[in-house]
Amino acid sequence: MLTISNLHASVEEKEILRGVNLTVKAGEVHAIMGPNGSGKSTLASVLAGKSDYDVTEGSVDFDGKDLLELDPEERAAEGLFLAFQYPVEIPGVTNTYFLRSAVNSIRKYRGQVDISAKDFMALVKVKAAMMELDPSMLSRSVNEGFSGGEKKRNEIFQMAVLEPKLCVLDETDSGLDIDALKVVANGVNALRSPERATLVITHYQRLLDYIVPDFVHVLVDGRIVKSGGKELAFELEAKGYDFIKEELAAKA
Amino acid sequence: MNSLLNTPTDPFVDGYAAIKPLLDIEGLPFFSSLREQAIRSYQEFGIPTRRDEEFKYTSLRALQEKKFKFGFGANVDREDLVNFTLGLIEAFTVSFVNGQYAPELSSHDHLPKGTYVGTASEAPTELHGAIEAQFGKIASLQGRLGSTNDERFVALNTAYLGEAAVVYIPKGKTFGQPIHLQYITSDVSNGTYSTPRVLIILEENAEAKVIESFVTLKGFGFTCPVTEVRLAASARLEHTRYQDESLDSTHVSNTYIYQETKSIYTSNNINFGGEVARNDINAFVDGEYCETWLNSANVGLGNQVIDNHTRIDHAKPNCQSFEVYKTILKDKAEGVFNGKIFVYEDAQKTDAKQTNQAILLSPTATMNTKPQLEIFADDVKCTHGATIGQLSEDALFYLRARGVEKSRAESLLVYAFAAEVLEKIQVPAVKDALEARLFDKLA
Ligand SMILES: Nc1ncnc2c1ncn2[C@@H]1O[C@H](COP(=O)(O)OP(=O)(O)OP(=O)(O)O)[C@@H](O)[C@H]1O
Ligand SMILES: [Mg+2]
Repeated sequence: MLTISNLHASVEEKEILRGVNLTVKAGEVHAIMGPNGSGKSTLASVLAGKSDYDVTEGSVDFDGKDLLELDPEERAAEGLFLAFQYPVEIPGVTNTYFLRSAVNSIRKYRGQVDISAKDFMALVKVKAAMMELDPSMLSRSVNEGFSGGEKKRNEIFQMAVLEPKLCVLDETDSGLDIDALKVVANGVNALRSPERATLVITHYQRLLDYIVPDFVHVLVDGRIVKSGGKELAFELEAKGYDFIKEELAAKA
Repeated sequence: MNSLLNTPTDPFVDGYAAIKPLLDIEGLPFFSSLREQAIRSYQEFGIPTRRDEEFKYTSLRALQEKKFKFGFGANVDREDLVNFTLGLIEAFTVSFVNGQYAPELSSHDHLPKGTYVGTASEAPTELHGAIEAQFGKIASLQGRLGSTNDERFVALNTAYLGEAAVVYIPKGKTFGQPIHLQYITSDVSNGTYSTPRVLIILEENAEAKVIESFVTLKGFGFTCPVTEVRLAASARLEHTRYQDESLDSTHVSNTYIYQETKSIYTSNNINFGGEVARNDINAFVDGEYCETWLNSANVGLGNQVIDNHTRIDHAKPNCQSFEVYKTILKDKAEGVFNGKIFVYEDAQKTDAKQTNQAILLSPTATMNTKPQLEIFADDVKCTHGATIGQLSEDALFYLRARGVEKSRAESLLVYAFAAEVLEKIQVPAVKDALEARLFDKLA
């Protein structure tokens, strides 16, 4: 589904991604871990199409399409979803209005007619209940005044409504209490299917107890330096990143 | 003398002698002497030019050039009201056409005892004393710190004072319905001018929601309204003014508020119309523990000029004021915001917060911002912030990352920027209608 080859990206002349290679197949869950500042959010942003980053080398294939050639909204319409590490507050736009615009824009891209108000409300109701989202939050402005945890929950709620093919979660677990973590994990797992894939960026093994990955990758200094199964997450939790850095130093 | 100095004559002075007797038939008898004094004060200053500091960015040349004529009645039918955003809202309505009272477009429902909403001349005699005691007294900067000479349009309004609208809510009463004062220009002479006048008195612990709307049915005009508001102790007023006159009209308004202890005044100042729209809102806070909220949303397209001047005088301690002014400008539109806050020596513990934000959607649109904080007390919290810019890149990316097309995401954000102000309006029908109008204006 997703093939990232030798991806290099920089911001303001500073190279942050320095040759990322990653292949994600339909049905798989991949976790990306790595120290602060190693480039995890940058990778997520480049995938979503944020214009602050210059891709200097490499390519990204998303189900046969050259992802880097698409506008952010086209990527979303093709089925890519990024749950932001820092969701943006948008005063004056209600959650419902925003989501309906998103749903209809995506439908338009796919040549479908607008969803009826009734069907949309029904859909939103089901998903809000699943995410245990207080209905009053739907009529509030997008993320405005939401607590840290509410913002994260709202991201996964949006994801549940949009039903993307590839879900990229950037530290969705940070700021969540234990109960919220389970709700969010349930939301993510509810979307798991043989046609979909998930890329989870996290610092903590704990989330991976709930969203069990098929593969774990370690990103250091803009490169994936180690990959393994879910046991790698336990090893990292126990030993920290130093042992990987030592391995690397030994190889060099 | 004018010809010696080779300055153009003032159209508002030249025709005055002929119009004065017609004005004297209207309103209450004491108006007559106010008019006489006012024409003299107006004459001293005349139409401002851009050399006048308070009108630096806003040309009122149209007043000299467009040969506006004094507005006499015109026929406006109930069916015409559908043309106006707020024409059909449910409210206790008092309408004026070209400055003349229009009983056929006004409410005649029974008013609760002691409450009055209507024209000055029809006010019950027991209210005449209260009206005369306040009328013309609130709209003055006499004796204020750093007084400026921008009272000339108050003088012009008073010189041409015809009928006035009066809202009087007695002690402890809440007026349940919104009150709508509707000013319609229906041009009869290729440029019609009118001078709407309003006096709002809320006695102790009284509450009301008043909407003033200024709209054009046809043609163009010069509207020069003055509204005086007096809030006694613990009174609460939501005061929405919606200006959406035709795009070749000139609008120069003055709103003066006088607040006593613990009163709460909220202004929602909405401007979508006018070739030139200039509003002065001056609140004199003369009691402790008051709140003053000044909210404003403005949209200027084409060659529109929208100029808002606000002034809050904090004369007593322990008061709060919150000011949020937002302006969207496109094409060659120009915006002006001048926000003065005076904190008097006695006004310790004043908490004043002023924000002014503008979004420029074209490189040719301009915004001039001047916050002016003058603080003479030492234990106060005063902040001001101004941003002039484009849309937030982060918000735009967030919307696009969810699939919303760029152009749609942009218009959504522009809309939201102003809608945030409209959302605060506490009369749902007014809020909804203005949001829909905003949407159309930006489309
Ligand atoms: N827009 C930007 N401008 C300048 N520097 C940036 C920008 N975005 C990212 N960087 C820098 O790139 C590096 C990688 O940042 P990134 O946010 O991708 O790290 P991360 O792995 O997500 O870290 P964390 O675990 O703390 O979230 C950091 O040094 C960061 O300061
Ligand atoms: Mg990050």
